[in-house]
Amino acid sequence: MSLIEIKNVSFSYNETKKAVNDVSFDVEQGSYVTVIGHNGSGKSTLAKLIAGLLPVKEGKILIDGKEVNEENISSMRTRLGIVFQNPDNQFIGSTVRDDIAFGLENKLVKSEDMDAIIDEYAKKVGLEAFLNYEPQNLSGGQKQRVAIAGILAMKPDIIIFDEATSMLDPKGKKEIKKLMYDLASGDDITIISITHDIEEVLQSDDCVVLNKGKLFMHDKPEEVFRNPEKLRQIELDVPFIEKVREAFAKHKIKLNADDLKGMVDELCRSSSKH
Amino acid sequence: MNNLVFGKYIPIDSLMHKLDPRAKLIGLFLMIAAVFVPKSWWVFLVIALVLTVALLFAKIGIKMIVQSFKPMIMMMIFLLVINSLTVKTGDVMFMIGGFAVYKDAVFNTLFVVVRLLLMISITTLLTATTNPLDLTLGIEWLLKPLEAVHFPAHEVAMMVSIALRFIPTIIEETMRIMNAQKSRGVDFENGRLSEKISAILSLIVPLFSVAFERAYELADAMEARGYVPGVKRTRYHVLKFSFRDFLFIFICVLILAFSIASRFYL
Amino acid sequence: MPIKFKALSYIYNKDMPYAHKALDHIDLDIREGAITAVIGETGSGKSTLVEHLNALLLPSEGSLEVLDYEIKAGEKQKFLKPLRKDVGLVFQFSEYQLFEETVIKDVAFGPLNFGYAPQEALQRAADALKMVGIKEDHFEVSPLELSGGQKRRVAIAGIIACDPKIIVLDEPTAGLDPKGSKEIIDLFISLNKTQGKTLIIVSHDNEMVYNYCDDTVVLSKGKLVYHGPTDELFADKEKLKEFNMLEPQIVSFRNELIERGFTLSRQARTLEQIAQEIAKQVKR
Repeated sequence: MSLIEIKNVSFSYNETKKAVNDVSFDVEQGSYVTVIGHNGSGKSTLAKLIAGLLPVKEGKILIDGKEVNEENISSMRTRLGIVFQNPDNQFIGSTVRDDIAFGLENKLVKSEDMDAIIDEYAKKVGLEAFLNYEPQNLSGGQKQRVAIAGILAMKPDIIIFDEATSMLDPKGKKEIKKLMYDLASGDDITIISITHDIEEVLQSDDCVVLNKGKLFMHDKPEEVFRNPEKLRQIELDVPFIEKVREAFAKHKIKLNADDLKGMVDELCRSSSKH
Repeated sequence: MNNLVFGKYIPIDSLMHKLDPRAKLIGLFLMIAAVFVPKSWWVFLVIALVLTVALLFAKIGIKMIVQSFKPMIMMMIFLLVINSLTVKTGDVMFMIGGFAVYKDAVFNTLFVVVRLLLMISITTLLTATTNPLDLTLGIEWLLKPLEAVHFPAHEVAMMVSIALRFIPTIIEETMRIMNAQKSRGVDFENGRLSEKISAILSLIVPLFSVAFERAYELADAMEARGYVPGVKRTRYHVLKFSFRDFLFIFICVLILAFSIASRFYL
Repeated sequence: MPIKFKALSYIYNKDMPYAHKALDHIDLDIREGAITAVIGETGSGKSTLVEHLNALLLPSEGSLEVLDYEIKAGEKQKFLKPLRKDVGLVFQFSEYQLFEETVIKDVAFGPLNFGYAPQEALQRAADALKMVGIKEDHFEVSPLELSGGQKRRVAIAGIIACDPKIIVLDEPTAGLDPKGSKEIIDLFISLNKTQGKTLIIVSHDNEMVYNYCDDTVVLSKGKLVYHGPTDELFADKEKLKEFNMLEPQIVSFRNELIERGFTLSRQARTLEQIAQEIAKQVKR
């Protein structure tokens, strides 16, 4: 049995268009799944459905074999965290310390136990020196790390990242991606990451491609990118290496290697045959 | 924005900072009452002296208090003008171009002004030494009895603390939108009335739409982290009364008692 | 020379205990008709620099020449409107500046402020909207009903409609998906190529900078540390390291090819051009 089973889920904000249309896929325990698709493909809606922030009216979502519904959503929620795109709009407390405490207060953790938990998770995201900082004195990347610490402190099984790096500068992106890869490398936490970052997709175990609300592909990232033409059809970006392959194919040079270095080797071999 | 002193928290460590916010809130009410009761000048003097001592304990310079009076100057002048026009009792103090200003007018004004200044000093003392979050916790505690009549004290406190948290963000946002509109030729300083209105709209409408967007996202983030309005939660900050808090309240009660007594015996 | 910074410094909260020097003695000439990138880490002073270009900020020290306007420290500016008409600034997340009831009215807002007659302002707005790819049936809807990418384009049209000579873009593609980003970049490149607009782009996206920008300005902690041709900067590994910049993949690929004995001309900066030149050196 998979940890998360999404079965024929549809959702619409208004009558005219379905934002998510009959989507089904499974997420295995401990895996790292990326979801790609251009803006308006239904990625964020799907994330909110899984996180229980939108009600599933058509189809069902099962976690550990149990259907998520309005009655058990609050208990399910303790197993599930979500990191949103805008670092400012998810900082609830007035300091780093208070923000991490926010979730703990909801979880009815005793006041005297909180400091130890806050310290532990602040350390985990490398913010132990910033505990008394106010949000306006933190960078975007630091704020996202606070959000992650706040979620980790609640000991979830699943964390959803909803374009969590898209508003960050390169340094912040790097920090958050590293943190995500670290979390993904263990078996405890299952990660679903909605992203535009092709390089991140290559790091994941599984990739779900959405187009106009529908499931377009669901496969290993290598398989998804094996057919760049298909991704181009729905106007998605492809990894740099595939772009290189395409550019040379136009000049009837076939490159087979899986990395840039290998490709340069191939080019060298054919040029020395002069 | 940076010059605004009234209501600003000064993040230092002092004896006044260490007091429980609830004690300080109660103290504030007692002291304000004490300022309102007396009719004698020298009671004001005593209260002013006590306040000066408190300011020393709070490590807040007199300069800051004087600065917090600045916005009041216009109001005081206005009061004096109104009083001069209406109060016609006592001796004539001086003449301005054939218009007599009476002694009572000046003294009545001074009396009100001194009360106001004392109140501002007391409030500044509270806000300068209490971080906004603790203040909200204090207010929540004071409102707690109202929960019996279904007043959502905790939710109100949560709202206030979130509002406080977002003030710097909104100020930043305002600056950015102003700059964007200035780049589209908006002049926020000069112009005819119709231009002024359009300038203000060009700032207010985007500010509101951003604020709503933020509110929705924040609500999602809070819900996702297990917040359900009205449901019991534990608290990270727990307020604890200590001996010095009782002592502080006791002193404030004494001053109020002294002030009330002054009305009967002086 | 349309843009000339002369020993310009800017200090936030001057004369306050927490004063902060955001720009430190900047001497800089930006070429007319070129695409210039301004890059540097967050807090390096990029936004402060570009906010001087239309006098949103006035220099604390030194001076600045933009087109025919001269802005000196400590002087009150009298030509704000014409300057702001000639220098269009597109802010980060510019969609948040939309406020009028309809898309077309919002785009015409700038031209009206800058003194175009109402009829002409509407005409300019319509032209600018078409240029950014907003169809006519969207002109009369509320801008708040559009998607994020469309809102961004309407906001950009609002600047283009003012017909500025210089367009300054602060992270124009932040938060957009790759397709949306490419469309916006292509639009500005074509404004540069067909109408000769001078472009100044503040960006964190080194790949984009390398692909499209003629010159690059690098700021670090408020100081100008590099100004020169973009390709020279990216060819210099030492400099990239010094400025803590990631090497775009295309640059790594190009360098690798050159190291392995292929010859590539300086113009070969896109994959298409590289493939074409390499193809000639490889036996089919």
